[in-house]
Formats: sequence, structure tokens, C-alpha cells
Amino acid sequence: MSIELVIKSIFSSLFIASVIRISTPIIFPAMGGLVATAAGVPNMALEGIMNVGAFTGVMVSAYTGNVWLAILAGMVAGIMMALLLGVFHLHFKSDLFIAGLAVNLMSSGGTVFLLYILTGDKGNSSNLRSLSVPNIDIPLIKDIPFLGDILSGHPVFTYLAFLSVFLVYIFLYRTRFGTHLRAVGENPEAATTLGINVTRTRLIALAISGVLASLGGMNLSMAYLQLFQKEMAAGRGWIGIAAVHLGAYKPVGVMLASMLFGFADAISNQLGSLNIPSQLVQMIPYATTVVALAVYAIQQRQSALDRMKKYQKEHTDSLAAEASNVE
Amino acid sequence: MKSFFKSKGFREFLRIVLALVIGLTLGFIITLFVSEDPINAYKSLLLGPLTRLNRIGDWLEESLTLILLGLTICIVFNASQWYIGVEGQMILGALASGCVALYVPLPPFPRILLAFLAAMIVGALWGLIPALLKAYYNANELVTSLMLNTVALKLFEYVLKNFIMHEKSRSVSSDYIGKEFRLGTFIPDWPFLHNIRELWMKQTNVTVMVYVVIAAVIVVYYLLYKTPFGYELRTVGLNAKFARYGGINVNKTIILSIMVSGIFAGLAGVHITLAIHNRLISNMTSGLGFEGINIAILAGNNPLGVPIAGLLYGYLRAGADVMERSSDVSRELVYVIQAMVLLLVTAERLLPVVKTRIAEHQEETGNGSAGHVKQIEEKGDTHVN
Repeated sequence: MSIELVIKSIFSSLFIASVIRISTPIIFPAMGGLVATAAGVPNMALEGIMNVGAFTGVMVSAYTGNVWLAILAGMVAGIMMALLLGVFHLHFKSDLFIAGLAVNLMSSGGTVFLLYILTGDKGNSSNLRSLSVPNIDIPLIKDIPFLGDILSGHPVFTYLAFLSVFLVYIFLYRTRFGTHLRAVGENPEAATTLGINVTRTRLIALAISGVLASLGGMNLSMAYLQLFQKEMAAGRGWIGIAAVHLGAYKPVGVMLASMLFGFADAISNQLGSLNIPSQLVQMIPYATTVVALAVYAIQQRQSALDRMKKYQKEHTDSLAAEASNVE
Repeated sequence: MKSFFKSKGFREFLRIVLALVIGLTLGFIITLFVSEDPINAYKSLLLGPLTRLNRIGDWLEESLTLILLGLTICIVFNASQWYIGVEGQMILGALASGCVALYVPLPPFPRILLAFLAAMIVGALWGLIPALLKAYYNANELVTSLMLNTVALKLFEYVLKNFIMHEKSRSVSSDYIGKEFRLGTFIPDWPFLHNIRELWMKQTNVTVMVYVVIAAVIVVYYLLYKTPFGYELRTVGLNAKFARYGGINVNKTIILSIMVSGIFAGLAGVHITLAIHNRLISNMTSGLGFEGINIAILAGNNPLGVPIAGLLYGYLRAGADVMERSSDVSRELVYVIQAMVLLLVTAERLLPVVKTRIAEHQEETGNGSAGHVKQIEEKGDTHVN
């Protein structure tokens, strides 16, 4: 395939649809990370929770034959893992970062351990007949030529992911509890004096992040593929955490940051058809993350410096004005 | 004697032992549920590594890598840098040492020496990117280092597949490194040791890396506790602002801490290349990436505790291999046990680095409340007493 064809395909509706599809499993953990970070408990276990969600969804769907029950079970499993982290951090005073890594370790080891017991295979669950979620064709939109291909026909999870951005925004900025949650994140002492239960609020925030991360995991195992693989999240939980930083802790910003990685990933898929070594192409999303974080950090530092200079100038100006008044 | 039992060190030791016992008990309960013959499965986990000489060798080999990884993390954690790019540094160190051992036309001794040097330099340099970003722009080193791990792994695969691997070869790997360019056995060739040496060489692969690791432990201890750099590093780790007021060049210390730690990750890369696999092969570092953190935390971030923690987890990993081969329980059980221990060990104490990290984070995100920070510090104090 030539470069022209690749460029052409990048501007096609299929490519944009693939960006949306690939962004989905990053938006979920990123939104989860955002809620947890807003409450002052950045969740480092997103990666592990995604694996657990993906695993639980596949197993429950294979054994019960009910997709919706499987999704419910996956979400419950995500909550359980998040609460394990929460209880150890909030009640037993574990360090959040280390406890998060411990939950990741437990998740990646535990899923493979259980996978082996249930299927006799350590790599994937291909010998089980697990289910996938249905794709949704949006009635009117699907008939619009270009837009229909982009917006319609995605799995349920993709719509849920973009809905979750909206819901997280409403939750954090337009509900009473969301405001409390942000207050707890910004100033736990002050929140306590107002009678907000900091521990409980943070536990709930972690539970929400668990639900969202597990949905991201199930998107991988029940929509993207139809089986569970060892270490299925493959770093998407961490990319989600990067997106929280990059999106400046705002729902829409975090969503756009997630889509940047989805875009980089989709580009690397397209370039895979060119004669470029696949390993180099596969680096693109991760390298993009580093570059984006670097640019963001540099820009933050710059704007902080500008602010400082401005205040300094105002200060010196006001001093000079006072001095002239006295004279 | 009474004061010894009441001392801080002894109580910490008890706490770690307790965490291990709880973790292992939990592992046994899981085994009870999943195994047809739980007693034997667990016996092979706990006693397996000691039953044969070659298994003792496996245990020691595994431990040497783990100790080096533990030292790497120990240095950065003492500086309160949540840097986890060890895997990238290790794999590129392995690549560098492997290339030198395979291609540089030098006699054995200087070639091995150069392999060590190359790996150490590459390990240190790979840490430079996240270190610079963190020091000068406060970019989150956790995320950047993790992303760079994947980049390094892909880079390794790329070089291996396109430049080193033979087209005819069936596995993605280099040729075996010549025998004389690998590391030799650790038992010196003295007459009265001759028989033991022969036996160990035949059954195990434990190399002179043993001495390198012992030296590395001493060097890290000396570096952290007996040099001005170590003092600055630990001060930055305890309280970066205080360190800045005290005239310490914080940025330089952060960069150096990450780069110095990379030297030891590079050494771990040498060990897996020139002693364990004896060639470059894809997925060389699988499952080792986060192991350093387990060990550093278990060792309480003390370099002298790292060898003990490393030997312990090396033993568990070797035991898990025996268990997997001789029973129906898979080795991943050990990760669950390790995760449990990790949770329990940090649950009961707040390490100094941990304490300041929370305080710092509150300020970084602009959410800082002096009261909360103070509260955390007070809590930390009660734990120290």
C-alpha cells in the first residue's frame, strides 16, 4: 500500500470511526481516573481493574449465556477491586500508589491464575464460548452518507463511553454529591468541618472509578475481541491516567486527550500496512503520550511563570503608585 | 535485651514477617480451593527450591536479578521519585551488553567489561528523558517512565528482529553468545574447591554476578548513607522544599537519582543476557518490570534489606516454578501472595517517602491545605515512634 492510499484512508469515514472505536477503552478508565483524582485519591489500579472487568465479563457470559448479567458482574468485580484499594488506603493507611500497584499485581496474576483453572489455558479464553455486546445502529443517522458510517454501528460500550463523559461532567459540576466530592479533593479539612464524610466520599469515588475502568476492560473482551487475553488492558489504564493529567482534570479535556491516543493508535494501525517495521509503528501511541505530557508540562510551567511575572509587575506598580501618592 | 524487642527495627521486622505469614496463609487457602492435592502443591512451593542443586541454582540466579532491580527502585524511592521505568532500562541494558558480547572484536575479559559498561551507560541514559521532564517541568515521572518502558520494549524487538536475528532462525532471538564471553561460575578455580566447582558448573548457572551484586549492595548503601550525594538525595526525598531552602540543587539531585538507579537496572540487563539466557531473545524481561518495587518496599527502602527481600522473593518465584511443574496449581499464585504482602506491609506503616509524597501531591495539584498536610505528618510521626 502506498503512502497516498494511507493518507486517503486517514480522511475516510472508516478511519474516523476506528478512532472512536479505539478511544473507547481509554475514555472509560480516563473518566474513572478523573473522578478518583477529583476526590483526591488518584487511582493507580485502573489497569488491573480493567483486566478484572474484562475477565469477569467473559467468564460470566460464557457460563450464564447472558450478556447483561456479565456486564453487571464485571462492574461488580471492578467495584470490589476498587474498594479493596480504598479500604487499604483509607482505613489501613496504605500508601495509595503502592496499594494501587499491589491491586494491579493481584489483578494480572489473579486473572491468569483463574483463567488457567477455568480453561486450562494461560494465554486466552478462546476455548470458551463467551459473548459480545450487540452493535447499535442509530435509526436515522445511519442513513446519512458520511456521518452515518462514523456515528452508527458501534458497540454499546462506545456510546456508553461518550455518555459517561457527559454524566461525569453533570455529576462533578451539577450535583450536590459531585460538589462535595470535589471539595473533598480540594480541601479535605474544610470539607470535614462542613460535615462531609471524607472517607466515605473517597470510597464512593474509587468505586465509581472501578465501575468505569471495568467497563473499559469489558469493551476489550466483549466488543473489541470476543475473548479474554492475558494482560488484556495492555497499558490502557496507564494511558488513561496520562489522559487525566493531559486533559487538565476536566471531563471534556480528558476525553479529547483520550481521543488523541486513540488517534495515534489508529494512525499506527494504518501505517502497519506500509512497509514500516511494525515495532516502530506500535511505539507511536506511547511516544505520543510522552511527547504530549512533555508539551503540556512545559506549557504549564510557562503559563505559571507568566502569571508570576504579571503579579510581580502589578505588585511593583502598586508599590510605585503608593510611593508617588505619599510624595 | 528488653529494649531490643521494643526497638523500631525489631518491630518493623515482626510486621514484615507477619505480612509474609498472612500472605502465605492466604495462598494456602486459595490452594485448598483449587488443587486436588493442596498439601503437596504447597510443599513444593515452600520447599521445592531446596530439593535439588539445580533448583538452588535457579533460586540464586532469579534472586540476583531481583536484588539489582530492588536496588534500582530503592534509590529512586529514597528520593521520592515514583519512577518505574526499570524495565525499559533493563531491556536496553540487555541489548547493549548483548551486542557488545556478540559483535565487538575484543578478547573475552575486556569484552565482558565493555558489555557491563555499555549496559550501565545505556541504563542511565534511558532514564534521562523522564528525569529531565520531571526535574525541569514537573511532568509526572510515573506516566512518562511507564510509556517509555513500552517504547524501549518495542525498540528492543525492532533491533532484534531487523538487525540481530537470523532469517532462518525459528525463534526471535540472537545466536548464543560464545561460551568465553559469558560470565563464569562464581566459585574460584582453587584446588580444594575443584569438585564443588565441577558439580555447580554442571548443574547450575550461578555466575560471578554474585560478587557484582554484593558490591552493588554495598555501593548503594555507601552512596545513600555515607556520601553528600546520598544525603542530598534523601533530603530531597523527605522534603524537596526544605532541601531547596537548604541550598541543595533539587533538579540535579532528581536527575542524578534516576540516572544512577539506571546503572543498576543496566546491570540487571547484563545478568539476564550474559548469565541467564546467554543470548538476546524476545520477552526477556517479562514479569520482572514491577518486581523491583515489591522488593524495595519489603526491604523498607533500605539497601541492606534488599538482598534479603530479593532472596525471599527469588525463593518464592523458584518455588512457584517447581509447584507449577509438579502440581496442578499455576505459578501466578505467587503474584497474588506478593500483592497481599505488598498491601499489608504498607498498610501498617507509612514510610517517610510515602508521607511527604502525599503532602507534596496535595500542594502540586493546587489542592493543598496546610492542615491536612500537617495531619498526615503527625500520623507519620506516630508510626515512627
